[in-house]
Amino acid sequence: MPTETRFQEIKRYVRLDEQDARLLRAFGELARPELPRIAQEFYDRIREHEDAHAVFTGEEQIQRLQRSLVEWMTRVCSGTYDESYHERTSIIGRVHVRIGLPQRYMLTAMALIRVELLRIADRVLGADAAPTREALVRILDLELAVMLEAYKDSFVERIEQAAHKQSQDLGTALAQAEQRYVSAVELAGVVIVGLDRAGNIQLFNREAETVTSYMRDEVMGKPFLETLGIEDGHGGLPERLKRVLTGQSERVTLETCLRNRAGKLRDVVWSWNFAGEGVAGVVLLATGRDVTDEKAKDERSRQNERLAAVGTLAAGLAHEIRNPLNGAQLHVSFLERAIKRKQTEQEMLEATRVVGDEIKRLASLVTEFLDFARPRPPELKTTSLVRAMEHACGLVEASAQEAGVELVCDAPSSDVDFPADAGKLTQVLLNLLHNAVEAGGKHVLLRGRRGPRHVFIDVEDDGPGLPSPDAPVFDAFYSTKEGGTGLGLAITHRIVSDHRGTIDVSSRPGKTSFHIALPLGEGAGGSA
Amino acid sequence: MSIAGSKRVLLVDGDVRTSRRLAALLQQDGYQVELARDGAEALVRLASSTTPDVLVTELRLPVGDGPSVARSARMLSPALSVVVVTRYANSVSAASFGSPEPLVLSKPLDYERLLAALRQPPASPEF
Repeated sequence: MPTETRFQEIKRYVRLDEQDARLLRAFGELARPELPRIAQEFYDRIREHEDAHAVFTGEEQIQRLQRSLVEWMTRVCSGTYDESYHERTSIIGRVHVRIGLPQRYMLTAMALIRVELLRIADRVLGADAAPTREALVRILDLELAVMLEAYKDSFVERIEQAAHKQSQDLGTALAQAEQRYVSAVELAGVVIVGLDRAGNIQLFNREAETVTSYMRDEVMGKPFLETLGIEDGHGGLPERLKRVLTGQSERVTLETCLRNRAGKLRDVVWSWNFAGEGVAGVVLLATGRDVTDEKAKDERSRQNERLAAVGTLAAGLAHEIRNPLNGAQLHVSFLERAIKRKQTEQEMLEATRVVGDEIKRLASLVTEFLDFARPRPPELKTTSLVRAMEHACGLVEASAQEAGVELVCDAPSSDVDFPADAGKLTQVLLNLLHNAVEAGGKHVLLRGRRGPRHVFIDVEDDGPGLPSPDAPVFDAFYSTKEGGTGLGLAITHRIVSDHRGTIDVSSRPGKTSFHIALPLGEGAGGSA
Repeated sequence: MSIAGSKRVLLVDGDVRTSRRLAALLQQDGYQVELARDGAEALVRLASSTTPDVLVTELRLPVGDGPSVARSARMLSPALSVVVVTRYANSVSAASFGSPEPLVLSKPLDYERLLAALRQPPASPEF
């Protein structure tokens, strides 16, 4: 059985039948002259109503509508109620919606028209009006139903559209947010790699591709550490990664090597961050920076500095060498002349001795310079502070007496063992003590003490002090002494640095002190 | 001013041993030589004895320096000739000695060259 149309369904509810159709047609003939009047009165009322006016664009339109109303009333009483009739009513209904006519106005209008038509039926048909009245009521209900459908349809449509738009907007907003997030991650100037719980790569941004030379597709799903050849030479990276993957550590910062697709090593500074459940199963975000070039640049500039320093050193050495050369040369000239003139043996011997001395002086300059420029690395062994101090003082005793200087050795009451190269330590103490003895004072003090983590050694004299407080005394070839190599303090400073210690000087006329601090080392202790 | 044989030379250098030997050579060659080991001694010598004809000095001295000695000496005797004998030949700023500019000789000294320079009249162009 064919399904009935909506119109047929409504006609069934309203019970409009063929009899009604015939009655309405007959009525229509009778009522026709009255219809224009009804339309006029109807729209007059509207003209009076302020709100209704807002809907209509002007007089011309209202005239048109009046004519339409007459047409409609004629149609209602036409007696033919088929699908095309339904269609035409639907059109009217949709027009109401389109022009924004509020539903209640349509209802009010319908009520008014109904009353008028019923009155005409009563007047014209008198006692026989009843069946026609019923027919009129039915057809007008039917019209109402159809026109209300249009409102409902439009309402539903609007809701659907709104919902659609909202979901579209949401979709767009989400898409935009995602787009921004993706862009942010993609375009970031840092390497960003996202790992899942198993430590496999789930996110790999553009910078990561650039630094590693791997394309995203090549590494997706593969284990992070192994695929990129990440290690730091200390071992333990898999454990550290696991701690962040499981959230035990929130974050780890570290520097590692990375092997790129071509097998080249890059240095990368990382921050591995626990990301919680995150998006797309990413629980760890690793952000990194390729510092290979920076490090190379630093190394190069350090090397340049070293080269520059060596240049300066070499020049300093060259200057110092010229004096003993000068002396030797002059004495040779003198000797030449003396031999030609047959001068006294004594004088000639004196001259040859001096030449020999100057050559020795040259030799020691060169040796000291090499000791400074390319020192033998210190061999650290457990050394007794007290023994080192006493040994040095013993060696300087004679010169001190000759210079009329009192030398005091103030060792700690209980000995301290610490890691040191005994020979180099003695060299340092001798250098400082000789300087102190020759400084021009009357007293020299060597003092040693144990600190919480260091051994402290001081050498003090009461001479006139350094020429100025800013004097760069530890610089190579800064010497105020004729006959000195100018390298003593520079070498002393180098040896102390090699022991990971520090040395500084404070000086005023009457008190000059050199302070040395040397680390005690791991688990070093005092001896009984 | 006297003939080359008795020209007076003031020799200033911290390397005393070598200076003495140089003085001996110069004296053998007919010059009168006075020694000073630093700027202070040089000024004492300048103040207490006859002004020299030639100042031969190192650049750096244990006290003071070559330029200051030269300028002091030239206040007493503007026509004084100056020879700088130094291991820091590259660091000599000739202008700091005053004018006329000094002759600069690098150590180790070529003694014959010094002799040749001393034979010139003071402040001569070849100097």
